[in-house]
Amino acid sequence: MGTCNHKWSMVNIRSGYLIVEGCYKCKARASFFSTEAVPPIANYQDGEHYWKHLGSSQAVKFDLACDYCGEVVNLDDMMGLMLSTCRDPECEVAQLASEEGEGTWIYVALCADSSHASGRCVSDDGIRALTEYFNANIKDPRKKVIVVPCIKCKSIDTCEGIVIADTGLTDFY
Amino acid sequence: MRVSEIAEKAGLDSLNKYKDKEVEGVYISDMVSDIITGAKSNGILVTLQTHKSVIAAANLVDVAAIVFARGKKPADDVVGLAEKAGIGLFVTDLDTWSFAMKLAELGLK
Repeated sequence: MGTCNHKWSMVNIRSGYLIVEGCYKCKARASFFSTEAVPPIANYQDGEHYWKHLGSSQAVKFDLACDYCGEVVNLDDMMGLMLSTCRDPECEVAQLASEEGEGTWIYVALCADSSHASGRCVSDDGIRALTEYFNANIKDPRKKVIVVPCIKCKSIDTCEGIVIADTGLTDFY
Repeated sequence: MRVSEIAEKAGLDSLNKYKDKEVEGVYISDMVSDIITGAKSNGILVTLQTHKSVIAAANLVDVAAIVFARGKKPADDVVGLAEKAGIGLFVTDLDTWSFAMKLAELGLK
């Protein structure tokens, strides 16, 4: 990210739908963001996967751009954020929360593939920029936010947290 | 104007203990993903949503207080999370528009 002391702003804010699909053969789950007027609900085969539409919800996505150097961090790989409330001592995210103590809030950036079969998750640049952006806008000196990628969770399917999503609330269209 | 002063002048019912911050703006939204992109630090959020996701979103952007319109009240665990975050929770019987008008009359923009 160079030597710039970044001042991040949200850019490319767009409204759409977060679509969640599941493969009924291997039980994998995947999600993607759609800006279509009507969210796609088709079931289809893609290689060895047989994707079935599991649900959709209204969502807002954004990228971050530095006001000083113009660098843009693309956050297409982030599907949402979750406030971690995990207390599993074997979970790295819970350990971080315990080490940081009161006043620090851990948010997990959720990627499209919770199985992490590809080994990929939300990019390091994205995580760093998100953490810097949210903290720069916090005016309470006793409060801090740390954003971590969901690959750090022991298991994203069992990790406890509060997902910032409109699922079940605004998914009608 | 501080949160407590606005609460008193607007006749709000407080649900928890909170940090009495100087309020710097207002945002109205019923979408939690929208709150992240629209609400600002030390602002007041006016919403109909009472679930925990609202607190998670408001905390991330450092909202000072949340006002639930039309008399809606969150569950105890939601109130507890907000208190831990120092976010003031209030209830108004007014609808969102009428309450927004009241905030404007108080000088908030």
